[in-house]
Amino acid sequence: MSNNGSVGSTVTISGARIAGVVACVPARVVDNQELTARFGDAVAQVTKMTGVIQRHIAAPDQTTADLCVAAAEVLLDKADVDRASIGAVIFISQTPDHRLPATACLLQDRLGLPTATAAFDVNLGCSAYPYGLWLASMMIASGGPQRVLLLVGDTISKIVHAEDRSTSLLFGDCGTATLIEADASVCATFLLGTDGSGGSNLIVPGGGFRTGTPADPRNPNPEDTLFMEGGEIFNFTLAAVPGLVDGLIEASGVAREDFDGFLFHQANGFMIKHLAKKAKLPSEKVPINIDRFGNTSSATIPLLLVTDYREQVVDGASAMLAMLGFGVGYSWAGCATRVGPLSAAELITA
Amino acid sequence: MNELYSGLADIFEVDSSSIKPETRLEELGWDSLAMVSTLALFDEIYGKPVGVDKLKACQTIADIEALAAG
Repeated sequence: MSNNGSVGSTVTISGARIAGVVACVPARVVDNQELTARFGDAVAQVTKMTGVIQRHIAAPDQTTADLCVAAAEVLLDKADVDRASIGAVIFISQTPDHRLPATACLLQDRLGLPTATAAFDVNLGCSAYPYGLWLASMMIASGGPQRVLLLVGDTISKIVHAEDRSTSLLFGDCGTATLIEADASVCATFLLGTDGSGGSNLIVPGGGFRTGTPADPRNPNPEDTLFMEGGEIFNFTLAAVPGLVDGLIEASGVAREDFDGFLFHQANGFMIKHLAKKAKLPSEKVPINIDRFGNTSSATIPLLLVTDYREQVVDGASAMLAMLGFGVGYSWAGCATRVGPLSAAELITA
Repeated sequence: MNELYSGLADIFEVDSSSIKPETRLEELGWDSLAMVSTLALFDEIYGKPVGVDKLKACQTIADIEALAAG
């Protein structure tokens, strides 16, 4: 890895490609009309900024892992791979099934993967997907597992405070499955960075093991629900994301105009448009699907890939993509790679 | 400061003649959404960040204008 100052560290890894991606959203759709009954006119105001018209919300007994399993079953079926060839499963989420054991262990069993499979969880949100691709690519390039199943998703609806319009109206639920496999002809460039000084601006303070700390006076919500200081998050993205975009493009060695798409974490519609303009990216290369799904946390980028870039990455086609995640932590990560042709790029419901 | 005033008028959805230095922000609907929009406006016009705490402490249009000068 080379250190690129405050922007982050970069590395290019050869030998792994994305083979297929499936995203699964819950069947239940909650539109703004339904939420207007609870929040009144505020819904229209908030929508102007977030751009969220509807979101898919998990059933009470439906977890992130359930959505990821449904996605993985379709993915493994479509990709037609022998499950015994999956050497590792990585589950990245902030909404695991339990505090312990690691959800990835349970998923090894549920998906019928061999006991020789390595399995572990990672706790990241907005930056999860590029991080997961980085981990999987390194594992494959090291000569370890030659196929990695990356399961990324969240059900943030279960941790928002129902009365908090800033989060209740913004988030949606989704689980995804991505198959990464050895391919000597493909390389991917990554940029990763962290600034934990912003940790308290997007946080669920309770539920862990740090107790006895004074409550944050800015946070009116119960401690086991999500608190978001939107202004601080916005300031963070203004400071970090242009450097993430430029640093990733530069490290990749690919000309800016040769990228077919810039898949931003779908944080907030207003924010994405502002950041794209600030980074001087053409709007037609910056897809937005937050209107249909809300901010699905760790799942936004693979979800966006299958909803808005599917045609560019299936049936023999491929696209040079920059995938850019940034937020909770603060943590940010980018991945620049050629994606496709994929054996699966599907959106399903469960 | 015309750009700032017209930008703030857009954010509060009022005629720009309603934006005067002495105008009190609470009368315009100074909520978290307006604050984020104002952060973006500062970024667009001046290319510099404004502290959220400083913005929250503003009571009038003149207070916001002072942040631009500061």
